[in-house]
Amino acid sequence: MVVLRLRSISPGGVSTVPLFSMIHIVYMSRAVRPLSDQDLQLLLDQCRQDNAQRNVTGVLFYSHGNIAQLIEGEPAILEPLFDKISRDGRHSHVVKLVDKPIATRSFSDWSMAFHPLEPAGFEALEGFLLPGNLPASPSTLTIADAMMVDLVRLAVFGPDAVPTEPAEPVHA
Amino acid sequence: MPAGVATLQGPELRYGFVNDAMRAVIGDAAQEGRSVAESPGLIPADLLEVMQQVYESGRPFVAKAYRIPTPAATGSGAAIRYFDVALEPVREGGGPVSGLLLFAVDVTEQEETRQRAHELAIETRRLDTRLRVLTETVPQITFTMDAAGKLEYVSPQWYYFTGQPPTADLNAIWPLLIHPDDRLRVLYQSDAARAAGTGWSFEYRMRRHDGQYRWLLSRALPELHAPDQPVFWHGALTEVHDQRELAEALRRGEAELRFLADSIPELIWTATSEGFIDYYNQFTGEYTGLTRDELGPTGWINLLEPTEQAGAARRWVQSIASGEPYEGLFRMRRHDGRYRWHIIRARQLADTRGPRWFGACTDVDDQHRLREVLQTQYDELARTNRDLDTFVYTASHDLKQPLLNLRGLFDELRRTARFEDPQEAEIQDMVDGALAQLDTTLQELAATVQEQRGLSAPTEPLDLRSVAEEVLLGLRAQVQEANATVELNFEAAPTLTYGRANLRSILHNLLSNALKFADPERPAAVQVYSRLDEGGRPILSVADNGLGMVLLENQATVFQPFARQHPHIGGAGVGMYLVQRIITSRGGRLEVASTVGQGTTFTIHWLEE
Ligand SMILES: Cc1cc2nc3c(=O)[nH]c(=O)nc-3n(C[C@H](O)[C@H](O)[C@H](O)COP(=O)(O)O)c2cc1C
Repeated sequence: MVVLRLRSISPGGVSTVPLFSMIHIVYMSRAVRPLSDQDLQLLLDQCRQDNAQRNVTGVLFYSHGNIAQLIEGEPAILEPLFDKISRDGRHSHVVKLVDKPIATRSFSDWSMAFHPLEPAGFEALEGFLLPGNLPASPSTLTIADAMMVDLVRLAVFGPDAVPTEPAEPVHA
Repeated sequence: MPAGVATLQGPELRYGFVNDAMRAVIGDAAQEGRSVAESPGLIPADLLEVMQQVYESGRPFVAKAYRIPTPAATGSGAAIRYFDVALEPVREGGGPVSGLLLFAVDVTEQEETRQRAHELAIETRRLDTRLRVLTETVPQITFTMDAAGKLEYVSPQWYYFTGQPPTADLNAIWPLLIHPDDRLRVLYQSDAARAAGTGWSFEYRMRRHDGQYRWLLSRALPELHAPDQPVFWHGALTEVHDQRELAEALRRGEAELRFLADSIPELIWTATSEGFIDYYNQFTGEYTGLTRDELGPTGWINLLEPTEQAGAARRWVQSIASGEPYEGLFRMRRHDGRYRWHIIRARQLADTRGPRWFGACTDVDDQHRLREVLQTQYDELARTNRDLDTFVYTASHDLKQPLLNLRGLFDELRRTARFEDPQEAEIQDMVDGALAQLDTTLQELAATVQEQRGLSAPTEPLDLRSVAEEVLLGLRAQVQEANATVELNFEAAPTLTYGRANLRSILHNLLSNALKFADPERPAAVQVYSRLDEGGRPILSVADNGLGMVLLENQATVFQPFARQHPHIGGAGVGMYLVQRIITSRGGRLEVASTVGQGTTFTIHWLEE
C-alpha cells in the first residue's frame, strides 16, 4: 500500500521548528530591610519605565520582606538585567528558580503586588495590584510554570493568598 | 412475532389451514391443496424429511431453535432465523394418522442472546484466568476483605512474605503479625473506613518471615455496586520500608539521605518548605531520562499524563499551603515515553534546616492494571447478567403470543363444538382458568425481570406527594371500584432520596394491594404517611382497613413470589416479592402488621442502619 503524505499548508499546521526568542526568569529573595510604601512606590515607578522601554514584562510580589519576581523578555536583555537585580543592595539571598525559553509572553506589562500600609494612594496607581486581587496564573503558562507562580505567591503572601478557585490552565 | 400454525393433510402433506404468521415463514408457496414436497417454500429439506417420518411413525417431534435461512429482505443480507418447531400428528377418531399440525415460534432473538451470553461467559472465564495470573505475579500482596473485616482472600505473596503455611488461619493470625505499636491503629482505621464505606491508605509494620518488622503501605478501595453498601474491599500491600528509613535519614541530615536515596531503585525527592524540589535521586534520572536541571523545581508536573497535571499541581499547592501530606495516583512518563502508574506521596518533616518535604513515587503499574482488568471483568459480568435478564424478559413476552393463539383456538372450539357431557363444561372452565393464570404469571414474570433491571437505577430527591399522586392516577379505576378514600400525609418527611421507578413500583404495589384486599363490607380507607424515626431515618407506611391476613411466625413468607393470601383474589403474588426485593436491595426493611377483619399496615424503613 502506498501512503501519499501531503505537506500540510493549512494555517492551523504546527510549526516544526520551535523558535524561542524569549525566556523567563523566576527568583525569590529577601529584602535587606523592610521596604516602606515610598520604597515600593519608587521601585514600581523606576522599573515600570525601564521595563516598558526594554520590553520586559512580568510581576513582582512583596510582603514582609519576602520578594519573588517573574520577568520575561529577550535573553540579551534579561540575562544582564537579572545580574544587575541580583546585585541590587536592597535585597539579598537571591535564588533563581527558573531560567528557560518560553513560547509566548504571559504578562502584558510589568506590575507589582504588595500590601501598602496606606492603601488609599495606591489603588489608582498603574501597575499596582493588591495581593488579594491577583488574577489567577495566566493560562499561557505551562502547568508546571503556573504552579511555580502559585508557589512563589504562596511563599510571599502566605496561605490566604492562594486562589480558592485556581485556574485550570489549558495544556498546550 | 406470533406463532405460526399450519395443518398438513394426507400422506402428501397438503397445506390446509395456514395462518399469516406461518405464511410469513414459509412464503407464498404455502397454497391450500399443494403438497409440501412440490411447494416447500423456505422449509429446508431435512425438515421435509422429518415431516414425512412423523406422519409415518405417528410420533410427535419438537425441534428447539431450528435454523431457517431466510432470503434477503430488501436492502439487507440473507438472515438466519431460529424457530421452535413442533410437529404433531393428527388422528381422526383414534384412527390412523391423517395429517400433521405444524407449529413454529420465532425464537431468533432469544437464540442470539443465548449465543452472546455464551460467548461472554467464555470471555469472562478467560479474563478470570488472566486475573489470577496477574494477581499472583505482581510484587504487591493483594487482598480482599469483607465488610466485617474478615479477609476473604490474600494472594500467595502474603504467605511468602510472612512465611506462614498455606493452612494458617488467616483471620486469626494477621492481626498478630502487625507490630504491637501499630495494631490498634490499623484495626481502628480499617474499621472506620469500612463503616464509612470508603477506601483507606495507611502504613504499618508487619512481621516478615525472618522476624523483622517491615513498613507496608495498605491501600484498599470498596467494590461499589450501586446502590448497595459495599460488600468487599480490594486492596494491596506495598513495601515502603526503604522510604520510611530514608525519611528517618532525612531527619539526621541531607547528606545521609542523598547517599542512601541514590542507591534505591525508586523515585525519591525532597522539596523546600515552599514546595520547590531541590533534590531528585539518581533513579529519578534513570527513569525519566532527564537531568536534575531539566526537571527543575516544578518540572515533575510535566512528567504526568497531561490530563492529570492541573489536578496534581493544585493539590501540591494546597499541601504546601496547609502542610498536609500529599498523596495521589498518577501516570508518570518513563524515558521511553511509556506512562506507568505511580503513587506519589510526600510529607512534611523537619530536619536541621527546618521544615522540608520528603517525597517518593512508588511504581504500582502492575497493580493498577490488575484493578483495570478487574473492573473490565465486573463490567462484562454485569453485562452478561443484563443480557440474560433481557433474554428472560423477551422470552416471557414472546410466550404471550402463542398463549393468545391458544386462547383464540380455544374460544373458536367452544363456539363451534357442542358439549353434551356436563363434565366437559367443567373441564372447559378449568382450561379457561389455567389460561388466565398462565397469562398473569407471564406478565408478572416480565415485570420481575424489569424490576430487577431497575434496581440499580440512580437515586434522586423525590417529592413523595407528587409520586404518590402520579401512582394514584394510574389506579383511578381501582380506587373507584373499591369506593376508596386515600389520604396522603407527607408533612413529617416530604422528600425521599430514592430511585424514581422503584418508588413508583413500591407505591403502586402497596396501594393496589390495599385496594385489592378491601373488605367488601365497608368502604375502603387507605392512609399513606411518611415520618422520621428516632434516628432521623425516613419511614413510610401504607395502612388499609381491608380483609387483613394471618401472619405466620415467619413474616418473610408473605413476600415470597407466588405466595398468595387470598386465592380468590387475582394476582400471582409476585408484587410483594418485588417490593421486598427493591427495599432490601437498597438497604431497607419492610414490615407488616395485620389483623384479620380490620386491616393491614405495611411499613417501609427505607434505611435499616
Ligand atoms: C526586588 C527588586 C526588583 C527589581 N526589578 C527590576 C526590574 O524588573 N527592572 C529593572 O529595570 N530594574 C529592577 N530593579 C532595579 C535594579 O536592580 C536597578 O536598581 C535598576 O535597574 C536601576 O539601575 P541603574 O541604576 O543601573 O539604571 C529591581 C530591584 C529590586 C531590589
